[in-house]
Amino acid sequence: MKKTITHPIIWLLTIIIFTATACKKLEENPSSVIVSSQFFKTQSDAISSVNAVYSSLNSDPNGDFPLYGRQLNLLVENASDNQIFSPSNTNPDVRALGVSTYIPSNSRIQKVWQQLYFGINKANIAIDNVPNVSADTVLKNRLVREAKFIRGLLYFNLVRLYGDVPLVLHEPKSVNIEDLLVKRSATATVYQQIIADLTDATSLPKNYSTADLGRATSGAAHSLLAKVYVTQKLWPKALSELNTIINGGYGYALFPNYKDVFQKATKNGIEHIFSVQFESNLGAKNVVQNLSQSFTSFNTGTFPIDVPANKSVYELFSPADTRRETTFYDSVYNAATGKYVVFKNAYTPYFNKFVDYTLSPLNTQAQSGVNYPVIRYADILLLYAEVVNNISGPNAEAYNAINKVRARAKIADLTPGLSADAFRDSVFLERRKEFIQEGHRWFDLVRQGGNIYVDALKKIPEKSAVSSKNILFPIPQTERELNTLLTQNPGYN
Amino acid sequence: MEKSIHRKKIAARLMVFLAIAMFTKNASAQHESTPIINSTLIGSVKDSITKQPIGNVVLAIKGTTHAVTSAPDGSFSFRTGQKFPYTLIISFIGYQTKEIVVDGSPITILLAEKASSLNDVVVMGYGSQKKSDVTGSVGSVSKNLLAQPAASFDNMLQGGVSGIGVTQNSGQPGGTATVRIRGGNSISFGNAPLYVIDGFIVYNNNDNANVGSIGTSSNALSTINPSDIESVEVLKDASATAIYGSRGANGVIIITTKKGKKGVNNVNYNAYYGTQTVARKLSLLNGAQWASLINDVNTSDGVSKTYNDAQIAAFGSGSDWQGSALSNAPIFNQELSVSGGDEKSRYLISGNYFNQDGVISNSGYKRYSARINYEKDISEKFKVTANFFGSRSIEHKLPGSAYNSINFSNAYASLILTSPIATIKNADGSYNINNPLNATPTNPLQDIVATINQNTLNRILGNTAAEYKILKDLTLKVTAGVDILNTNQQYYAPSFTASPAGGSTGYATKGYAALGSGNALSWLNENTLTYNHTFGDKHFLNALVGYSTQYENGKSFTTSAQQFPNDLTTFDNLSYAGIANLPNSAARSSSLNSVLARINYSYLHRYNITLSERADGSSKLGKENKWGFFSSIGVSWNVNDEEFFKPLQNIVNSLKIRLSAGQTGNSEIPPYSSLSLLSPTNYYLGGKLVTGISPIQIANPDLKWETTTQYNAGLDLGFLNNRISIAFDAYYKKTTDLLLNVPLPLYTGYASALKNIGSVSNRGIEFSVNSENIKTPAFNWKSTLIFSANRNKVLSLGENVKSFFPVAPTGQVSPVIVQVGLPVGTFWGYDTNGLLKTADLTNGTPLLGGVPQQAGDTKYVDSNQDGIITTADKHSLGSAQPKFTGSLNNTFNYKGIDLSVFFQGSYGNKVFNLLQQSLERPTLTQNASATLLDRWTPQHQDATVARATNSPVPQVTDRLIEDASYLKLKNVSLGYTFKTEWANKIKLKNLRFYVSVQNLFTVTKYTGLDPEVNFYDNDNTKQGIDFGTYPSTRTFLAGLSITL
Repeated sequence: MKKTITHPIIWLLTIIIFTATACKKLEENPSSVIVSSQFFKTQSDAISSVNAVYSSLNSDPNGDFPLYGRQLNLLVENASDNQIFSPSNTNPDVRALGVSTYIPSNSRIQKVWQQLYFGINKANIAIDNVPNVSADTVLKNRLVREAKFIRGLLYFNLVRLYGDVPLVLHEPKSVNIEDLLVKRSATATVYQQIIADLTDATSLPKNYSTADLGRATSGAAHSLLAKVYVTQKLWPKALSELNTIINGGYGYALFPNYKDVFQKATKNGIEHIFSVQFESNLGAKNVVQNLSQSFTSFNTGTFPIDVPANKSVYELFSPADTRRETTFYDSVYNAATGKYVVFKNAYTPYFNKFVDYTLSPLNTQAQSGVNYPVIRYADILLLYAEVVNNISGPNAEAYNAINKVRARAKIADLTPGLSADAFRDSVFLERRKEFIQEGHRWFDLVRQGGNIYVDALKKIPEKSAVSSKNILFPIPQTERELNTLLTQNPGYN
Repeated sequence: MEKSIHRKKIAARLMVFLAIAMFTKNASAQHESTPIINSTLIGSVKDSITKQPIGNVVLAIKGTTHAVTSAPDGSFSFRTGQKFPYTLIISFIGYQTKEIVVDGSPITILLAEKASSLNDVVVMGYGSQKKSDVTGSVGSVSKNLLAQPAASFDNMLQGGVSGIGVTQNSGQPGGTATVRIRGGNSISFGNAPLYVIDGFIVYNNNDNANVGSIGTSSNALSTINPSDIESVEVLKDASATAIYGSRGANGVIIITTKKGKKGVNNVNYNAYYGTQTVARKLSLLNGAQWASLINDVNTSDGVSKTYNDAQIAAFGSGSDWQGSALSNAPIFNQELSVSGGDEKSRYLISGNYFNQDGVISNSGYKRYSARINYEKDISEKFKVTANFFGSRSIEHKLPGSAYNSINFSNAYASLILTSPIATIKNADGSYNINNPLNATPTNPLQDIVATINQNTLNRILGNTAAEYKILKDLTLKVTAGVDILNTNQQYYAPSFTASPAGGSTGYATKGYAALGSGNALSWLNENTLTYNHTFGDKHFLNALVGYSTQYENGKSFTTSAQQFPNDLTTFDNLSYAGIANLPNSAARSSSLNSVLARINYSYLHRYNITLSERADGSSKLGKENKWGFFSSIGVSWNVNDEEFFKPLQNIVNSLKIRLSAGQTGNSEIPPYSSLSLLSPTNYYLGGKLVTGISPIQIANPDLKWETTTQYNAGLDLGFLNNRISIAFDAYYKKTTDLLLNVPLPLYTGYASALKNIGSVSNRGIEFSVNSENIKTPAFNWKSTLIFSANRNKVLSLGENVKSFFPVAPTGQVSPVIVQVGLPVGTFWGYDTNGLLKTADLTNGTPLLGGVPQQAGDTKYVDSNQDGIITTADKHSLGSAQPKFTGSLNNTFNYKGIDLSVFFQGSYGNKVFNLLQQSLERPTLTQNASATLLDRWTPQHQDATVARATNSPVPQVTDRLIEDASYLKLKNVSLGYTFKTEWANKIKLKNLRFYVSVQNLFTVTKYTGLDPEVNFYDNDNTKQGIDFGTYPSTRTFLAGLSITL
């Protein structure tokens, strides 16, 4: 009796049968990560997909420098006459940008390209999928327009930096490279798309509640559109957009103090039209704002991450100009010792705008809660002065616009009675002084055309290698290896 | 009922018999003729040549199941109901089995060593096989190497078996090693071998042991007590590994733990104690030398000098930061094991305590472990076994560090880089935090001492098996086991340290605490049916079929907080913190279903063939390609058994030829790799954190196995009565359908996609020579020489892709390339040709583009001769893969004295000395290498190092890709075993004392701390990079071993 029950073969067979049925299924149903088939169902999914589009502006998937916050600045500030490389730049590719010797395999040029397209892909996904989510139509329309605003902004950067670029408007579905080959689209075609996206985005709300501050607005879309038209020298169209912003009841104005443009406490204020959002003191989820690494240490032997091209940049400013002390520093109060530390070496003064003085201790400057302004009202006023000057010459309206900016900086009005050319040069000089470290200078030099960019850089001895090919950056080498349909910009082959 | 009464009666009688037997033990002389005990036999067993006693020899009476085992001194005593004379069968591994007729008088039995070890049994996957019948390439690690003290058994594999390459990644106690069998097959995933411990397939994934860890990674294999290991077999070719199918491609390491033996009850105690010292230090500048370097930098910047001559003289030698955290550190190990067995069961119980302090303050490794191995023959047909193992190890790691935004794996590098003009301690003994060159008021030595970075690993590995003989030749085996690894990580960077804290420092975060926990579980069920039959006496067949299921899951979380009001509660109470950081958690699971079959057939043990097949279904692969099939064939021929060979047998007494071919696979990719995944990102709206969700991976439903096709030809030779035996193998492996993160055009919004593209080949030769050079009763000298050479080459990376650069640390240029035609992970940089002379600036010598070069700067070689130095001039500068590796182990025995001397070496491997790059790159703040003493100055133009400038661009040059060939005297040990009589006097069966030195010296041209180094741990493409790791040590120790 017992014997039959305990016969070992019975046990073994039981175990086998039991385990055979326990044999694991091979399908995967992850619990810790979302699969695409589970997504784009709810209103919350739609919002999250657009939040991700914004995050492409202030982060990098591999933890590299963010697009706004440093990477873009490596091209438009470092490759301009505002900056040269710092001794602390150990990467030869960064140094090459500072001295105009970059080649198509430059990793930083590739990185900017990558970050722009990563954001575009996220925007494409949102634009294609948000309409299918079951949610409030008004909200869905807003979200799609926000994504279009960012897509317009990123393509606008692409087309200005690289010229003709692949115009990708939908997400890839295949991993096969043959399905992913596209040609460069003509600059004009890319601009058409940018204008279409931004025009659609002008239907965005003028304002948001506090919780949504930082999202793209109608005013931001008009402003960016104005800038697109200015870049294309379509003056009447630009003027129309600028008029809308200035007179359309948006309520933008200059901060009374220039310093407030770059304060954590005054972020998303009256002058800020669209800013990339940064935050500090949130612990490990601080975004890295490497432009704030202009202050790295009280140790005066340590160089900041970026330095001015030379003293001439600092010397653009008259001592009375309040922008000078906001833009540069050469001494900092050290709370730990109660003393001022004075930085005096071949590379001083250092850049100051994005240093987050709310952080204590101060020397933790890979982070900063200072927003990065993409478009602010001072930009609109100076564009307005430029556009009016181009259409009607330096009339009172043009003077009025530039003088508002100068008055806020506590400097005297621009000399009256300038010629149109002299007025235009004054506007560009004003732009340079107003926007140091804000990612405008390279664009401003190049969009003037002719030899202006090359001539400006030639004034800096270290940048003597500059030539006319540098008015576009090269198409990244690896892109052309993977897709032989892509041609190279002139002079880089 | 009747039956059981009958049984009870028999049992009662037996008890009486036994009682009488006990009682009569001391009076046997008077009761010789008692009818119950017919015979008592005493004697001893010795080696026929050396006359050394042999323990653990099994002596059995022919025709019965009665057997005893000899004691370590060779003695045995046998009491049995058998009448004299009877036949005794004496058997022992490595010796010829002997049958003798005994008549009752005490005897000394002399055992002769086997003429050939071909009758040995070799442990294979899913069973064992007579060595003569083996068709594959299998190597065993010698007992001598297994007896060496080591924290983790992967350290002991180095130089142990031909074809296996082991590199200690760093000197961190409890740290990891990189293990490769016959080179790396994969570029992106899984090159480590498969570990099988007592039949349980272990997923050795160090990720399970590292939950959001800071610093070097922890080694999951270190949880296993190396002294529990009886044998380690390394399966290398497809004939041996194909039975492991999709996990066999990287070779298989089969570990068998010690078991109890029938009839012997032993209590063993082993202990050693030792001291470790740092093997090597770097030559750095002293205070005065450093100050004068700064002045040179100032000169090149065109600013005034920082220090005047008096100041420079006053600095003198300055502070020795490098040495400040170093001290001699103890290492201690002890273990106790009890083992034995009776007619029906065998057991072993062991416990171990291992404690290794680090030579750097506040680092070390401790392990407690216990094992129970049990085997029971429930009946002649039915056997059950259980192997249970548990351990707890606690690792105190150095915190990683960021020095001037360069991330080092440990804080030792930041000591090296601290300027010698900064004082270490104040006059009152407190740490000096007022270093004028420091970014924060901190002290790098204090950082090491005060930062807590500990990782506790708890592991339980239990495996049970039941075997039932359905028929005489047919055995059913069912095994079920579970492996649980629990990891707890605790970190605290106090507010007064510059230790890393979530991307910032302890100082900046005002105290940073992090906790992490991970649980990994894997269970395995295997069911096999083995048919083992001899047809006639010529055809030997062993056939195996089976199926198995293995499931693995892992869950982990990390959490951290910062801004503590004080540093009292550390990580033990995060609620004191001012800021809670966003926590992380993760979970994954995967399963593998398999069906397997193997046939071993031998004709006369002369002609052998092995056929094996395994089908694996993995959850991790694309839905179109879940299942893979892996088969192999192996044949071998014992030529020496042939009639025609007889004339040769005086010289060559054994000769075996082996040939095999087959396929194995690799799918060591993370779960969910074939799916379209979305990941979270963050943004801020209204100053608040919001979550964004976006795709990070395009689905690839076609994702399938990497397949390695391997061909092996082998030759086993024995000379001079097998006193010299040689095993030689040549192989070729080609891995296709590589699981590769293939670059996509970036305009797609993705950098890469995981696809099966490209192929890699490995080809090589390897041999081992075992020689008994001298064999006399008093003196014995044995040598083992092991040699391996492997050539690794990337054959293809897919269409339009000739090469790619593995991701480099942020802001750096990748020093390695993966390129078709070159080994995986080849160093890529410039050749240099000394320094530029003034004349070079005007005579058209090619100069570095973009950076204005001056006399005294490095002169780069224009390898493409286009007149300018650009990145196009970079080319291959060699790789970390050696041209060959080898080891030589000599053991000497003279009476009770034993001496072993073990050399191990590597030739042709390169190391990128990234730490040296940093040390040769002057800045105004960090210390520099003593090589800068020979820097170019206008007064000293005949220099080896470029002139001092402020932070020159660090380039990857031939100067920094150093020859890291080395020869190490890994171990010398000298022991003395007391004569049995002496040991017996103090009531011991055995007593041995020994002293040993590990890592006594290293011969190498490499200028860094140790030519064995992997900053990037097991990363296939970034091997051999030295970015400052934990220094390796030299260990002196003494130990004893006692058997009761």
